[in-house]
Amino acid sequence: MTGALAIETEGLSKSYGSMHAVRNLNLAVKPNRITAFLGLNGAGKSTTIKMLLGIVKPTEGSGRVLGKRIDYPVESVELRRDVAFVTEDKNLYGYMTVEQIIRFTRGFFPGWRQDVAEELLRKYELPARRKVRHLSKGMRTKLALLLAVSRRPTLLILDEPSEGLDPRGIEQLLECLVAQCAEGATVFFSSHQIAEIERISDEVCIINRGSLVLDASLDVLRLNWRQVDLVFASLPDRGDFQLAGVERIRTRGQQMSLFASGNVDAIVERARDFHATAIDVSPVGLREIFLQSVEES
Amino acid sequence: MLWYKAWLETRTRFLISLAGMTALGCYRVWELDRNPEPWYKLDYYYFALRSGHQLITLMWIVAATLLLMGGLLREKALGVSSFTLALPASRRRLMGVRIGTGFGQGLVLAIVPWSAMFVTAALTGQARSIFQAWFSIVLLIGGGAVIAGVALLVSALIEGEYTAPMVSFGFAILCGNAPKSLEFVNPLGLMGGRAYLGGSNMLVRPIPWIHVTANLCVTAILVGISVKIVERRDF
Repeated sequence: MTGALAIETEGLSKSYGSMHAVRNLNLAVKPNRITAFLGLNGAGKSTTIKMLLGIVKPTEGSGRVLGKRIDYPVESVELRRDVAFVTEDKNLYGYMTVEQIIRFTRGFFPGWRQDVAEELLRKYELPARRKVRHLSKGMRTKLALLLAVSRRPTLLILDEPSEGLDPRGIEQLLECLVAQCAEGATVFFSSHQIAEIERISDEVCIINRGSLVLDASLDVLRLNWRQVDLVFASLPDRGDFQLAGVERIRTRGQQMSLFASGNVDAIVERARDFHATAIDVSPVGLREIFLQSVEES
Repeated sequence: MLWYKAWLETRTRFLISLAGMTALGCYRVWELDRNPEPWYKLDYYYFALRSGHQLITLMWIVAATLLLMGGLLREKALGVSSFTLALPASRRRLMGVRIGTGFGQGLVLAIVPWSAMFVTAALTGQARSIFQAWFSIVLLIGGGAVIAGVALLVSALIEGEYTAPMVSFGFAILCGNAPKSLEFVNPLGLMGGRAYLGGSNMLVRPIPWIHVTANLCVTAILVGISVKIVERRDF
Protein backbone atom coordinates (compact mmCIF):
# COMPACT_ATOMS: atom_id res chain seq x y z
CA MET A 1 0.00 0.00 0.00
CA THR A 2 1.22 3.49 -0.74
CA GLY A 3 0.86 6.56 1.42
CA ALA A 4 -0.22 8.79 -1.44
CA LEU A 5 -3.77 7.54 -1.59
CA ALA A 6 -6.55 9.09 0.47
CA ILE A 7 -8.15 5.73 1.12
CA GLU A 8 -6.59 2.33 0.56
CA THR A 9 -7.79 -1.03 1.72
CA GLU A 10 -6.32 -4.47 1.27
CA GLY A 11 -8.50 -7.54 1.55
CA LEU A 12 -10.92 -5.66 3.79
CA SER A 13 -13.72 -7.97 4.91
CA LYS A 14 -16.58 -7.85 7.37
CA SER A 15 -18.78 -10.78 8.32
CA TYR A 16 -21.74 -10.97 10.65
CA GLY A 17 -21.94 -14.67 11.42
CA SER A 18 -22.30 -16.43 8.08
CA MET A 19 -23.29 -13.22 6.28
CA HIS A 20 -20.45 -11.54 4.42
CA ALA A 21 -21.18 -7.81 4.27
CA VAL A 22 -17.83 -6.93 2.68
CA ARG A 23 -15.45 -9.38 1.03
CA ASN A 24 -11.82 -8.90 0.23
CA LEU A 25 -12.23 -5.26 -0.73
CA ASN A 26 -9.27 -3.50 -2.30
CA LEU A 27 -10.02 0.18 -2.58
CA ALA A 28 -7.64 2.86 -3.84
CA VAL A 29 -9.11 6.34 -3.65
CA LYS A 30 -6.93 9.06 -5.12
CA PRO A 31 -6.50 12.33 -3.26
CA ASN A 32 -8.10 15.58 -4.41
CA ARG A 33 -10.65 13.77 -6.55
CA ILE A 34 -14.37 13.14 -6.27
CA THR A 35 -14.94 9.40 -6.07
CA ALA A 36 -18.41 7.92 -6.23
CA PHE A 37 -19.08 4.68 -4.42
CA LEU A 38 -21.92 2.82 -6.06
CA GLY A 39 -23.77 -0.33 -5.19
CA LEU A 40 -27.22 -1.81 -4.81
CA ASN A 41 -28.96 -1.69 -1.45
CA GLY A 42 -27.13 -4.01 0.94
CA ALA A 43 -24.05 -4.15 -1.29
CA GLY A 44 -21.77 -3.20 1.60
CA LYS A 45 -21.26 0.55 1.02
CA SER A 46 -22.24 1.74 4.49
CA THR A 47 -20.35 -1.08 6.21
CA THR A 48 -17.24 -0.19 4.22
CA ILE A 49 -17.54 3.48 5.16
CA LYS A 50 -18.07 2.58 8.81
CA MET A 51 -14.96 0.38 8.73
CA LEU A 52 -12.95 3.25 7.26
CA LEU A 53 -13.99 5.44 10.20
CA GLY A 54 -13.45 2.84 12.91
CA ILE A 55 -17.17 2.58 13.71
CA VAL A 56 -17.19 -1.09 12.65
CA LYS A 57 -14.18 -3.35 13.06
CA PRO A 58 -13.02 -5.37 10.05
CA THR A 59 -13.10 -9.16 10.33
CA GLU A 60 -10.10 -9.42 8.03
CA GLY A 61 -7.82 -7.23 6.00
CA SER A 62 -6.46 -3.79 6.63
CA GLY A 63 -6.91 -0.25 5.49
CA ARG A 64 -5.50 3.24 5.70
CA VAL A 65 -7.26 6.56 5.52
CA LEU A 66 -4.99 9.56 4.98
CA GLY A 67 -2.10 7.24 5.82
CA LYS A 68 -3.52 6.20 9.21
CA ARG A 69 -4.45 2.61 10.00
CA ILE A 70 -8.19 2.21 10.43
CA ASP A 71 -8.03 -0.72 12.83
CA TYR A 72 -5.76 1.01 15.38
CA PRO A 73 -7.91 3.00 17.82
CA VAL A 74 -5.34 5.75 18.41
CA GLU A 75 -4.68 6.28 14.68
CA SER A 76 -8.40 6.06 13.98
CA VAL A 77 -9.02 8.99 16.34
CA GLU A 78 -6.22 10.95 14.64
CA LEU A 79 -7.57 10.35 11.15
CA ARG A 80 -11.01 11.55 12.23
CA ARG A 81 -9.53 14.99 12.93
CA ASP A 82 -9.09 15.37 9.16
CA VAL A 83 -12.16 13.51 7.97
CA ALA A 84 -15.74 14.72 7.84
CA PHE A 85 -18.53 12.19 7.63
CA VAL A 86 -22.13 12.79 6.63
CA THR A 87 -24.10 9.76 7.74
CA GLU A 88 -26.73 7.92 5.78
CA ASP A 89 -29.69 8.78 8.03
CA LYS A 90 -28.47 12.32 8.89
CA ASN A 91 -29.72 11.98 12.44
CA LEU A 92 -28.08 14.44 14.78
CA TYR A 93 -28.59 15.17 18.46
CA GLY A 94 -32.27 16.07 18.66
CA TYR A 95 -31.93 17.71 22.07
CA MET A 96 -29.51 20.35 20.76
CA THR A 97 -30.43 23.47 18.85
CA VAL A 98 -28.73 24.20 15.53
CA GLU A 99 -26.36 26.70 17.13
CA GLN A 100 -25.58 24.33 20.02
CA ILE A 101 -24.59 21.49 17.70
CA ILE A 102 -22.43 23.89 15.68
CA ARG A 103 -20.73 25.04 18.91
CA PHE A 104 -20.32 21.41 20.01
CA THR A 105 -18.77 20.23 16.73
CA ARG A 106 -16.53 23.31 16.46
CA GLY A 107 -14.85 22.33 19.71
CA PHE A 108 -13.25 19.26 18.12
CA PHE A 109 -11.67 21.00 15.16
CA PRO A 110 -9.05 23.73 15.64
CA GLY A 111 -9.23 24.65 11.95
CA TRP A 112 -12.96 25.28 12.12
CA ARG A 113 -14.11 27.95 9.66
CA GLN A 114 -16.76 29.98 11.40
CA ASP A 115 -17.15 32.19 8.31
CA VAL A 116 -18.08 29.11 6.25
CA ALA A 117 -20.49 27.93 8.96
CA GLU A 118 -22.22 31.31 9.09
CA GLU A 119 -22.40 31.57 5.33
CA LEU A 120 -23.94 28.11 5.00
CA LEU A 121 -26.32 28.81 7.87
CA ARG A 122 -27.66 31.74 5.85
CA LYS A 123 -27.51 29.99 2.48
CA TYR A 124 -29.32 26.88 3.73
CA GLU A 125 -31.79 29.01 5.75
CA LEU A 126 -31.23 26.97 8.89
CA PRO A 127 -32.94 28.35 12.01
CA ALA A 128 -30.14 28.70 14.57
CA ARG A 129 -32.35 28.43 17.64
CA ARG A 130 -34.50 25.53 16.52
CA LYS A 131 -33.99 22.11 18.08
CA VAL A 132 -32.50 19.59 15.67
CA ARG A 133 -35.40 17.20 16.37
CA HIS A 134 -37.76 19.75 14.84
CA LEU A 135 -35.85 20.03 11.56
CA SER A 136 -37.00 18.26 8.38
CA LYS A 137 -34.76 15.58 6.91
CA GLY A 138 -33.63 17.96 4.19
CA MET A 139 -32.67 20.57 6.77
CA ARG A 140 -30.84 17.96 8.83
CA THR A 141 -28.91 16.94 5.73
CA LYS A 142 -27.93 20.57 5.14
CA LEU A 143 -26.92 20.95 8.77
CA ALA A 144 -24.82 17.76 8.57
CA LEU A 145 -23.15 19.16 5.46
CA LEU A 146 -22.48 22.47 7.21
CA LEU A 147 -20.89 20.63 10.15
CA ALA A 148 -18.79 18.57 7.75
CA VAL A 149 -17.57 21.36 5.50
CA SER A 150 -16.87 23.98 8.19
CA ARG A 151 -14.26 21.78 9.88
CA ARG A 152 -12.07 22.14 6.76
CA PRO A 153 -11.65 18.41 6.13
CA THR A 154 -8.92 16.79 4.08
CA LEU A 155 -11.33 13.98 3.26
CA LEU A 156 -15.09 14.27 3.05
CA ILE A 157 -17.02 11.01 3.25
CA LEU A 158 -20.73 11.11 2.55
CA ASP A 159 -23.19 8.25 2.68
CA GLU A 160 -26.04 8.93 0.29
CA PRO A 161 -25.91 12.68 0.87
CA SER A 162 -28.67 13.71 -1.53
CA GLU A 163 -31.32 11.51 0.04
CA GLY A 164 -34.14 13.65 1.39
CA LEU A 165 -33.04 16.81 -0.42
CA ASP A 166 -35.23 18.75 -2.81
CA PRO A 167 -33.83 19.64 -6.28
CA ARG A 168 -32.50 22.98 -5.01
CA GLY A 169 -30.86 21.26 -2.06
CA ILE A 170 -29.28 18.68 -4.38
CA GLU A 171 -27.92 21.48 -6.52
CA GLN A 172 -26.42 23.18 -3.47
CA LEU A 173 -24.94 19.88 -2.33
CA LEU A 174 -23.28 19.18 -5.68
CA GLU A 175 -21.90 22.72 -5.82
CA CYS A 176 -20.54 22.30 -2.33
CA LEU A 177 -18.81 19.00 -3.14
CA VAL A 178 -17.19 20.41 -6.27
CA ALA A 179 -16.06 23.48 -4.29
CA GLN A 180 -14.57 21.26 -1.60
CA CYS A 181 -12.59 19.33 -4.18
CA ALA A 182 -11.44 22.58 -5.78
CA GLU A 183 -10.14 23.67 -2.38
CA GLY A 184 -8.03 20.53 -2.16
CA ALA A 185 -10.25 18.09 -0.30
CA THR A 186 -10.91 14.51 -1.37
CA VAL A 187 -14.57 13.62 -1.68
CA PHE A 188 -15.75 10.01 -1.35
CA PHE A 189 -19.50 9.53 -1.48
CA SER A 190 -22.01 6.78 -1.94
CA SER A 191 -25.15 7.42 -3.91
CA HIS A 192 -27.87 5.83 -5.99
CA GLN A 193 -28.32 8.97 -8.07
CA ILE A 194 -26.42 8.12 -11.26
CA ALA A 195 -27.12 11.48 -12.89
CA GLU A 196 -25.52 13.34 -9.98
CA ILE A 197 -22.52 11.03 -10.01
CA GLU A 198 -22.01 11.55 -13.73
CA ARG A 199 -22.11 15.30 -13.20
CA ILE A 200 -19.47 15.68 -10.55
CA SER A 201 -17.41 12.49 -10.15
CA ASP A 202 -13.90 11.91 -11.37
CA GLU A 203 -13.71 8.28 -10.28
CA VAL A 204 -16.24 5.51 -9.81
CA CYS A 205 -16.03 2.44 -7.59
CA ILE A 206 -18.79 -0.12 -7.87
CA ILE A 207 -19.34 -2.66 -5.15
CA ASN A 208 -21.63 -5.66 -5.36
CA ARG A 209 -22.32 -8.24 -2.67
CA GLY A 210 -19.42 -6.89 -0.69
CA SER A 211 -16.84 -7.09 -3.49
CA LEU A 212 -15.40 -4.39 -5.70
CA VAL A 213 -16.45 -5.04 -9.29
CA LEU A 214 -15.28 -1.84 -10.94
CA ASP A 215 -12.79 0.89 -10.12
CA ALA A 216 -12.13 3.35 -12.90
CA SER A 217 -12.05 6.97 -13.84
CA LEU A 218 -15.30 8.27 -15.29
CA ASP A 219 -13.39 9.67 -18.28
CA VAL A 220 -11.93 6.24 -19.00
CA LEU A 221 -15.37 4.67 -18.74
CA ARG A 222 -16.81 7.24 -21.12
CA LEU A 223 -13.92 6.75 -23.54
CA ASN A 224 -13.75 2.98 -23.58
CA TRP A 225 -17.13 1.50 -22.77
CA ARG A 226 -19.32 0.94 -25.80
CA GLN A 227 -22.37 -0.94 -26.90
CA VAL A 228 -21.84 -2.68 -30.25
CA ASP A 229 -25.01 -3.74 -32.09
CA LEU A 230 -24.50 -6.12 -34.96
CA VAL A 231 -26.85 -7.63 -37.54
CA PHE A 232 -25.87 -10.75 -39.45
CA ALA A 233 -27.38 -12.67 -42.34
CA SER A 234 -26.38 -15.77 -40.45
CA LEU A 235 -25.78 -15.33 -36.73
CA PRO A 236 -22.29 -16.52 -35.72
CA ASP A 237 -21.56 -18.46 -32.57
CA ARG A 238 -21.32 -16.34 -29.38
CA GLY A 239 -17.95 -17.92 -28.68
CA ASP A 240 -16.53 -16.22 -31.75
CA PHE A 241 -16.99 -12.88 -30.02
CA GLN A 242 -15.57 -13.75 -26.62
CA LEU A 243 -12.76 -11.25 -27.08
CA ALA A 244 -10.87 -9.25 -24.51
CA GLY A 245 -13.02 -6.36 -23.31
CA VAL A 246 -16.34 -8.01 -24.09
CA GLU A 247 -18.37 -7.92 -20.89
CA ARG A 248 -21.70 -9.27 -22.12
CA ILE A 249 -23.21 -10.73 -25.28
CA ARG A 250 -26.92 -10.87 -26.03
CA THR A 251 -28.53 -12.32 -29.13
CA ARG A 252 -32.00 -11.88 -30.55
CA GLY A 253 -32.92 -13.29 -33.96
CA GLN A 254 -30.18 -12.22 -36.35
CA GLN A 255 -28.98 -9.48 -34.02
CA MET A 256 -26.12 -9.58 -31.59
CA SER A 257 -25.55 -6.91 -28.94
CA LEU A 258 -22.20 -6.65 -27.19
CA PHE A 259 -21.30 -4.62 -24.14
CA ALA A 260 -17.59 -3.84 -24.18
CA SER A 261 -15.21 -2.16 -21.77
CA GLY A 262 -12.63 -1.71 -24.52
CA ASN A 263 -11.09 -3.35 -27.58
CA VAL A 264 -13.96 -2.09 -29.74
CA ASP A 265 -11.84 -1.98 -32.90
CA ALA A 266 -11.12 -5.70 -32.63
CA ILE A 267 -14.81 -6.44 -32.08
CA VAL A 268 -15.77 -4.45 -35.17
CA GLU A 269 -13.03 -6.20 -37.14
CA ARG A 270 -14.37 -9.60 -36.01
CA ALA A 271 -17.90 -8.53 -37.00
CA ARG A 272 -16.66 -7.67 -40.47
CA ASP A 273 -14.95 -11.06 -40.71
CA PHE A 274 -18.37 -12.61 -40.12
CA HIS A 275 -19.93 -10.34 -42.77
CA ALA A 276 -22.09 -8.27 -40.44
CA THR A 277 -24.72 -6.43 -42.46
CA ALA A 278 -24.96 -3.60 -39.92
CA ILE A 279 -22.52 -2.38 -37.29
CA ASP A 280 -23.50 0.28 -34.80
CA VAL A 281 -21.15 1.43 -32.04
CA SER A 282 -22.66 3.71 -29.43
CA PRO A 283 -21.40 5.15 -26.13
CA VAL A 284 -22.95 3.91 -22.91
CA GLY A 285 -23.87 5.80 -19.78
CA LEU A 286 -22.89 5.08 -16.22
CA ARG A 287 -26.33 3.61 -15.54
CA GLU A 288 -25.76 0.84 -18.11
CA ILE A 289 -22.22 0.26 -16.87
CA PHE A 290 -23.46 0.02 -13.30
CA LEU A 291 -26.27 -2.38 -14.16
CA GLN A 292 -23.93 -4.45 -16.30
CA SER A 293 -21.35 -4.60 -13.51
CA VAL A 294 -23.77 -5.73 -10.82
CA GLU A 295 -25.54 -8.21 -13.08
CA GLU A 296 -22.31 -9.69 -14.34
CA SER A 297 -20.86 -10.18 -10.88
CA MET B 1 -17.17 19.67 24.41
CA LEU B 2 -18.21 16.13 25.33
CA TRP B 3 -19.07 17.43 28.81
CA TYR B 4 -21.18 20.09 27.15
CA LYS B 5 -22.99 17.39 25.16
CA ALA B 6 -23.46 15.20 28.22
CA TRP B 7 -24.90 18.14 30.14
CA LEU B 8 -27.30 19.12 27.35
CA GLU B 9 -28.37 15.50 26.99
CA THR B 10 -29.15 14.95 30.66
CA ARG B 11 -29.88 18.37 32.12
CA THR B 12 -33.69 18.12 31.88
CA ARG B 13 -33.78 14.69 33.55
CA PHE B 14 -31.23 15.80 36.12
CA LEU B 15 -32.83 19.11 37.07
CA ILE B 16 -36.32 17.60 37.28
CA SER B 17 -34.95 14.79 39.48
CA LEU B 18 -33.04 17.22 41.67
CA ALA B 19 -35.99 19.56 42.14
CA GLY B 20 -38.43 16.69 42.65
CA MET B 21 -36.27 14.82 45.15
CA THR B 22 -35.41 17.94 47.11
CA ALA B 23 -38.99 19.17 47.24
CA LEU B 24 -40.52 15.81 48.12
CA GLY B 25 -37.84 14.99 50.71
CA CYS B 26 -38.29 18.37 52.44
CA TYR B 27 -42.05 18.16 52.25
CA ARG B 28 -42.01 14.68 53.74
CA VAL B 29 -40.05 15.81 56.79
CA TRP B 30 -42.05 19.02 57.19
CA GLU B 31 -45.38 17.24 56.78
CA LEU B 32 -44.46 14.45 59.21
CA ASP B 33 -43.28 17.03 61.70
CA ARG B 34 -46.59 18.88 61.54
CA ASN B 35 -48.81 15.81 61.64
CA PRO B 36 -46.84 13.03 63.27
CA GLU B 37 -48.40 9.64 63.50
CA PRO B 38 -48.45 8.30 67.05
CA TRP B 39 -45.85 5.65 66.34
CA TYR B 40 -43.46 8.24 64.87
CA LYS B 41 -43.24 9.94 68.25
CA LEU B 42 -40.79 7.28 69.31
CA ASP B 43 -37.97 9.31 67.84
CA TYR B 44 -37.94 12.15 65.38
CA TYR B 45 -34.92 10.81 63.55
CA TYR B 46 -36.50 7.44 63.28
CA PHE B 47 -39.40 8.68 61.23
CA ALA B 48 -37.41 11.33 59.42
CA LEU B 49 -34.79 8.85 58.31
CA ARG B 50 -37.08 5.90 57.75
CA SER B 51 -39.51 7.92 55.75
CA GLY B 52 -37.45 10.70 54.19
CA HIS B 53 -34.43 8.55 53.48
CA GLN B 54 -36.49 5.76 51.96
CA LEU B 55 -38.35 8.22 49.78
CA ILE B 56 -35.07 9.75 48.60
CA THR B 57 -33.58 6.27 48.04
CA LEU B 58 -36.48 5.23 45.87
CA MET B 59 -36.35 8.41 43.83
CA TRP B 60 -32.56 8.22 43.59
CA ILE B 61 -32.75 4.74 42.04
CA VAL B 62 -35.24 5.90 39.41
CA ALA B 63 -33.29 9.11 38.68
CA ALA B 64 -29.85 7.48 38.53
CA THR B 65 -31.13 4.68 36.28
CA LEU B 66 -32.66 7.19 33.88
CA LEU B 67 -29.56 9.39 33.94
CA LEU B 68 -27.28 6.48 33.13
CA MET B 69 -29.42 5.33 30.26
CA GLY B 70 -28.16 6.66 26.99
CA GLY B 71 -24.72 6.32 25.56
CA LEU B 72 -23.71 4.88 22.24
CA LEU B 73 -26.15 1.98 22.19
CA ARG B 74 -29.12 4.27 22.71
CA GLU B 75 -27.66 6.62 20.12
CA LYS B 76 -27.43 3.66 17.76
CA ALA B 77 -31.13 2.98 18.28
CA LEU B 78 -31.81 6.65 17.49
CA GLY B 79 -29.45 6.62 14.49
CA VAL B 80 -26.99 9.14 15.97
CA SER B 81 -24.09 6.89 16.97
CA SER B 82 -22.30 7.26 13.61
CA PHE B 83 -22.12 11.02 14.07
CA THR B 84 -20.65 10.63 17.55
CA LEU B 85 -18.21 7.91 16.54
CA ALA B 86 -16.98 9.93 13.56
CA LEU B 87 -15.77 12.65 15.93
CA PRO B 88 -12.09 12.63 16.90
CA ALA B 89 -12.73 11.14 20.34
CA SER B 90 -11.95 7.64 21.52
CA ARG B 91 -14.72 5.41 22.81
CA ARG B 92 -12.97 5.32 26.17
CA ARG B 93 -13.15 9.10 26.36
CA LEU B 94 -16.80 9.09 25.32
CA MET B 95 -17.55 6.58 28.04
CA GLY B 96 -15.42 8.42 30.57
CA VAL B 97 -17.38 11.62 30.11
CA ARG B 98 -20.66 9.77 30.31
CA ILE B 99 -19.65 7.92 33.46
CA GLY B 100 -18.29 11.12 35.00
CA THR B 101 -21.50 12.99 34.25
CA GLY B 102 -23.80 10.18 35.40
CA PHE B 103 -21.99 9.46 38.64
CA GLY B 104 -21.40 13.15 39.35
CA GLN B 105 -25.09 13.85 38.93
CA GLY B 106 -25.87 10.83 41.13
CA LEU B 107 -23.64 12.30 43.81
CA VAL B 108 -25.44 15.64 43.64
CA LEU B 109 -28.78 13.85 43.77
CA ALA B 110 -27.72 12.18 47.00
CA ILE B 111 -26.14 15.19 48.70
CA VAL B 112 -28.48 18.05 47.81
CA PRO B 113 -31.89 16.51 48.65
CA TRP B 114 -30.60 14.96 51.85
CA SER B 115 -28.92 18.19 52.92
CA ALA B 116 -32.11 20.11 52.12
CA MET B 117 -34.09 17.60 54.14
CA PHE B 118 -31.68 18.04 57.04
CA VAL B 119 -31.95 21.83 56.83
CA THR B 120 -35.75 21.54 56.84
CA ALA B 121 -35.55 19.35 59.92
CA ALA B 122 -33.16 21.84 61.54
CA LEU B 123 -35.56 24.70 60.78
CA THR B 124 -38.33 22.87 62.58
CA GLY B 125 -35.93 22.69 65.49
CA GLN B 126 -35.69 18.94 65.68
CA ALA B 127 -32.48 18.02 63.88
CA ARG B 128 -29.70 17.24 66.31
CA SER B 129 -26.68 15.96 64.44
CA ILE B 130 -25.32 16.50 60.95
CA PHE B 131 -23.71 13.08 61.28
CA GLN B 132 -27.17 11.61 60.70
CA ALA B 133 -27.30 13.26 57.29
CA TRP B 134 -23.71 12.36 56.42
CA PHE B 135 -24.28 8.73 57.45
CA SER B 136 -27.36 8.42 55.26
CA ILE B 137 -25.67 10.06 52.25
CA VAL B 138 -22.77 7.58 52.52
CA LEU B 139 -25.23 4.68 52.62
CA LEU B 140 -27.10 6.09 49.66
CA ILE B 141 -23.97 6.56 47.57
CA GLY B 142 -22.34 3.31 48.66
CA GLY B 143 -25.28 1.12 47.70
CA GLY B 144 -26.48 3.35 44.89
CA ALA B 145 -23.16 3.13 43.06
CA VAL B 146 -23.86 -0.56 42.35
CA ILE B 147 -27.37 0.20 41.08
CA ALA B 148 -25.87 2.92 38.85
CA GLY B 149 -23.11 0.52 37.71
CA VAL B 150 -25.72 -2.06 36.74
CA ALA B 151 -27.68 0.62 34.84
CA LEU B 152 -24.49 1.55 32.97
CA LEU B 153 -23.74 -2.09 32.14
CA VAL B 154 -27.30 -2.67 30.93
CA SER B 155 -27.08 0.43 28.74
CA ALA B 156 -23.89 -0.99 27.20
CA LEU B 157 -25.48 -4.38 26.58
CA ILE B 158 -29.09 -3.77 25.65
CA GLU B 159 -30.18 -1.67 22.71
CA GLY B 160 -33.47 0.18 22.77
CA GLU B 161 -34.77 3.31 24.35
CA TYR B 162 -37.14 1.60 26.77
CA THR B 163 -35.80 -1.95 27.13
CA ALA B 164 -32.62 -0.95 28.95
CA PRO B 165 -34.29 1.11 31.71
CA MET B 166 -36.89 -1.64 32.17
CA VAL B 167 -34.14 -4.22 32.72
CA SER B 168 -32.36 -1.88 35.15
CA PHE B 169 -35.54 -1.25 37.10
CA GLY B 170 -36.12 -5.02 37.08
CA PHE B 171 -32.76 -5.47 38.79
CA ALA B 172 -33.66 -2.87 41.41
CA ILE B 173 -37.02 -4.55 42.06
CA LEU B 174 -35.22 -7.89 42.38
CA CYS B 175 -32.91 -6.35 44.97
CA GLY B 176 -35.88 -4.90 46.78
CA ASN B 177 -37.43 -8.34 47.10
CA ALA B 178 -34.24 -10.23 47.92
CA PRO B 179 -34.36 -12.43 51.04
CA LYS B 180 -32.96 -11.03 54.24
CA SER B 181 -30.17 -13.60 54.23
CA LEU B 182 -28.67 -11.79 51.20
CA GLU B 183 -28.76 -8.40 52.92
CA PHE B 184 -24.98 -8.04 52.93
CA VAL B 185 -24.63 -8.45 49.16
CA ASN B 186 -27.77 -6.52 48.35
CA PRO B 187 -26.95 -2.90 47.35
CA LEU B 188 -30.49 -1.89 48.23
CA GLY B 189 -29.93 -3.23 51.72
CA LEU B 190 -27.01 -0.86 52.20
CA MET B 191 -28.82 2.05 50.58
CA GLY B 192 -31.92 1.64 52.69
CA GLY B 193 -29.76 1.23 55.79
CA ARG B 194 -32.07 -1.40 57.22
CA ALA B 195 -29.29 -2.74 59.41
CA TYR B 196 -28.61 0.69 60.83
CA LEU B 197 -32.05 2.17 61.11
CA GLY B 198 -33.69 -0.31 63.43
CA GLY B 199 -35.61 0.92 66.44
CA SER B 200 -32.79 -0.14 68.73
CA ASN B 201 -29.79 1.08 66.78
CA MET B 202 -30.79 4.29 65.04
CA LEU B 203 -27.59 5.21 63.29
CA VAL B 204 -25.50 4.85 66.34
CA ARG B 205 -23.12 2.47 64.69
CA PRO B 206 -19.99 3.68 62.88
CA ILE B 207 -20.21 4.15 59.12
CA PRO B 208 -19.79 0.71 57.51
CA TRP B 209 -16.78 1.67 55.39
CA ILE B 210 -15.87 -1.91 54.51
CA HIS B 211 -19.34 -2.58 53.19
CA VAL B 212 -19.32 0.71 51.28
CA THR B 213 -15.84 0.03 49.85
CA ALA B 214 -16.90 -3.46 48.74
CA ASN B 215 -19.85 -1.94 46.92
CA LEU B 216 -17.64 0.67 45.26
CA CYS B 217 -15.26 -2.10 44.11
CA VAL B 218 -18.18 -3.97 42.54
CA THR B 219 -19.19 -0.71 40.85
CA ALA B 220 -15.67 -0.23 39.49
CA ILE B 221 -15.78 -3.74 38.00
CA LEU B 222 -19.18 -3.06 36.40
CA VAL B 223 -17.89 0.22 34.96
CA GLY B 224 -14.74 -1.49 33.63
CA ILE B 225 -16.79 -4.22 31.94
CA SER B 226 -19.11 -1.60 30.40
CA VAL B 227 -16.17 0.34 28.95
CA LYS B 228 -14.66 -2.84 27.47
CA ILE B 229 -17.97 -3.84 25.91
CA VAL B 230 -18.40 -0.45 24.26
CA GLU B 231 -14.79 -0.39 23.04
CA ARG B 232 -15.19 -3.74 21.30
CA ARG B 233 -18.65 -3.30 19.90
CA ASP B 234 -19.61 -2.53 16.29
CA PHE B 235 -22.05 0.32 15.83
